[in-house]
Amino acid sequence: MKVEFKIPTGLVHEIRTDLARPHAYAAERVGFIHCRVAAIRDGIIVIGEGYRPVEDEDYLDDATVGAMIGAGAIRKALQFAYQNRVSMFHIHMHEHSGRPWFSRVDLRENAKFVPDFWNVRPEFPHGALVLSLDSFNGLCWVPDQQKPFRISKFSIVGAPLRIIRL
Amino acid sequence: MSDRNARQEFLGNDSDEILASCRVGIIGLGGGGSHIAQQLAHLGGGTFVLVDPDKVEDHNLNRLVGATAEDAERGTAKVAVLRRLIKGINPGAKVNCIRNRWQEEPLGLRDCDVLFGCVDSYGARNELERIARRFLIPYIDIGMDVTPGENGYVISGQVILSMPGELCLWCVGFLTEGLLAEEAARYGAAGGRPQVVWPNGVLASTAVGNFVQLITPWHDPQRSTTYLEYDGNAHTLLPSNRLRYVEGKRCKHFSSSTDLGDPFWGQ
Repeated sequence: MKVEFKIPTGLVHEIRTDLARPHAYAAERVGFIHCRVAAIRDGIIVIGEGYRPVEDEDYLDDATVGAMIGAGAIRKALQFAYQNRVSMFHIHMHEHSGRPWFSRVDLRENAKFVPDFWNVRPEFPHGALVLSLDSFNGLCWVPDQQKPFRISKFSIVGAPLRIIRL
Repeated sequence: MSDRNARQEFLGNDSDEILASCRVGIIGLGGGGSHIAQQLAHLGGGTFVLVDPDKVEDHNLNRLVGATAEDAERGTAKVAVLRRLIKGINPGAKVNCIRNRWQEEPLGLRDCDVLFGCVDSYGARNELERIARRFLIPYIDIGMDVTPGENGYVISGQVILSMPGELCLWCVGFLTEGLLAEEAARYGAAGGRPQVVWPNGVLASTAVGNFVQLITPWHDPQRSTTYLEYDGNAHTLLPSNRLRYVEGKRCKHFSSSTDLGDPFWGQ
């Protein structure tokens, strides 16, 4: 199954600006993109609609990882997905250029909490994205599929139009 | 940069790759759409989705790029003519043909990176822009018209880039309720509208230029909305004054989040 992700340029800018803000004790920030979804002939398209930053007080003070968020942050994201009938994608940023990928800790934590979104919105795919200074990567958990799919294409829609094929 | 595209190196070192990775939908393969398909093939466009339900007829031969008298005689599908033309120029291109109305194959256009609307009616343009907005696809609209004037005929036309999140065809005044109502009232009585090859070529070329500037820009500044008006009698193509009045404003017609994605997903 092909999974493509589309997002407006303005939303990417909003996310980058938020994720780049320093935090009192977390080394990095994270957030959630709420998305709409559409079927294509050989897969799905996920369309980024808006961004919900994790609030300052919802980070845990854990020096062993870049950012650890508490149950409150997850609960708020779950509640938003439920109330607004949306797909949710966790996002964080790695401070380098080129194609990013998740750390081992990222992969472990994603696999734990992303499927939780099916408890509130089982009909939607959900996932996790990682942003670098100039690129994207991501995994998508699709309903009724055992393993997550790597997102094969990102389109950053604006002028210019950027297409990242992975 | 390949030898083949050495003369377009100014588009950027990675422009070959960008163009080859792009999936472009062309709706309507008449005088405008056929020019666009041909030019994108020359540029190195990678994947085409061609949509047109019609076959070639004699009266298309005055403007349909790639069509031959034999095609008209045999009644070759327009999508087949353009597929042949594209593959002849760029054998590596992938060409998906939809010989149907695009509304009948709703999944066909959703994963396109850019849509070119080369359709005849305001109603069709309205529907295409709605689809483009829903699936976050930049939409480039072209069209021409010939109307009787005081000293003969007046040739006019437009090229409009409608970018999701930015001003739409309604915002810039190209679509209005009045025009749609007038068109609906004329339904079935419109007959064949005048079309000739050279305005089609001017408008299609400008649309392709808009597309290339969008995906592999060769100059600044970037513009997210363009509206160019063609005066075929003066042979000019100029920015529309209508756009100047609304520039900097937000689109009010496609601002709801429920306008995105499949509205029936999961139901």
